[in-house]
Amino acid sequence: MPAAPAPSPSAERPAAEQFALVESFDNFSRHRRIIAAMAREAKEWAGIPMPLEGEQLVVEPSYKFAALFNGDEEEPVDVGDGQAGPRESEDDLYRVVNMWHSRRHRSTVAVAQNGRGRAQHVFGLSKQIDLDLRTLGCSEAWGVEQEHRALNLLGTMLNHRMFKAYLLTGMFLETSKRSGVVYLFRKLRPTIAIKAMTLRWRWSSRPWLEDGDGYMKPLAALCMHPIAYYADSWAGAMCPTDDVVAHLAMMRGDEVMFWRRCNQHDPFSKEAGL
Amino acid sequence: MRGTVGVLNVGAGDTKLSFDPKNPAERIRAARIVRDMIRRGYALLIEVEPNQFQRAHDFDEERCEYIIADFDPVAAAQCSCPPDGASSACPVHGDEKARGQDVQASGTETAGEAAAGAGKKKRGGRRKRVDAGSTRAVAVGRTAGG
Repeated sequence: MPAAPAPSPSAERPAAEQFALVESFDNFSRHRRIIAAMAREAKEWAGIPMPLEGEQLVVEPSYKFAALFNGDEEEPVDVGDGQAGPRESEDDLYRVVNMWHSRRHRSTVAVAQNGRGRAQHVFGLSKQIDLDLRTLGCSEAWGVEQEHRALNLLGTMLNHRMFKAYLLTGMFLETSKRSGVVYLFRKLRPTIAIKAMTLRWRWSSRPWLEDGDGYMKPLAALCMHPIAYYADSWAGAMCPTDDVVAHLAMMRGDEVMFWRRCNQHDPFSKEAGL
Repeated sequence: MRGTVGVLNVGAGDTKLSFDPKNPAERIRAARIVRDMIRRGYALLIEVEPNQFQRAHDFDEERCEYIIADFDPVAAAQCSCPPDGASSACPVHGDEKARGQDVQASGTETAGEAAAGAGKKKRGGRRKRVDAGSTRAVAVGRTAGG
């Protein structure tokens, strides 16, 4: 006979008990509570980001505790010169002199050069799958209760249709009344600014795009994490829906400042997440 | 009625700062916190109408009001007033002109003023006040990039 299913931790238990039960499975919940208490004592309204082993936390420079998290300047990376044996001098140390994203190869290409002028290139340094896996690891910094609160807040800011779309797909659309730009807000991905265009052409000239409703042209991928984020991942220090709330509130409240504060990635770059 | 400020918090999710505008102690405490957040570069977004937000630049603790920039880009784009005053044909200010009201006293910047001011680097601009005791706000910390 199959075992009877365990009761779901909902409905019959008080909310505090439900969260306590869920957090009993979360090894980092105690750390989050301690850090939250430290933030309250320090009167740091936005809290203190949680450092994770093996992840670089990039903190906003004017943040009160930024010096604790932001390390020293990046040391030169020793990418090696392909030769056996110890290096003879600092001239053998390679430094990255150029880096770009290749649309053709869908990966990052880096060129490194040593002190003697010898250069090497490296393909496939970072691909989107790396970002995805790293983000999965960084999810340890968030708690279910925090995400639940953020969802409650987001639910008060959206109509039923858009909130349902967010719950089911992790994204929703909103058009700015100021600029007419359509924003695709996404969980754990940059917000995509889209403009409706129409393709026009004449026999004697090349086709061109103008405002219309035939083609949705992505303008930019807007990436912004309040306070801090984990490098080389989609993860911010805040839970995913809090990042979405921040994007939505800033777009509605001050669209110019929203664009100014965001990193504007090329829609076809790896960082855009498209 | 209580005013609320939802502060997006890293560790605790969304933390609520709630205050009764009739209670002087709560009002003073809220004013200090709000001003501290603005000083640190937080974006304080006030819900002036359902799902319509505007950024607050300051907080008046005596009157318990947020001070926001009084400039609506949508209205400014629709305004057709000449620089020297309101026009009755303007879809934004036509009614006010017909009633004999001074558009400038109403606190709304016309497109003409905006155009005239564009050549000069004028700081500050018009400000509008919103009652803090009956509005909801969301506070977003400075960005670390992404």
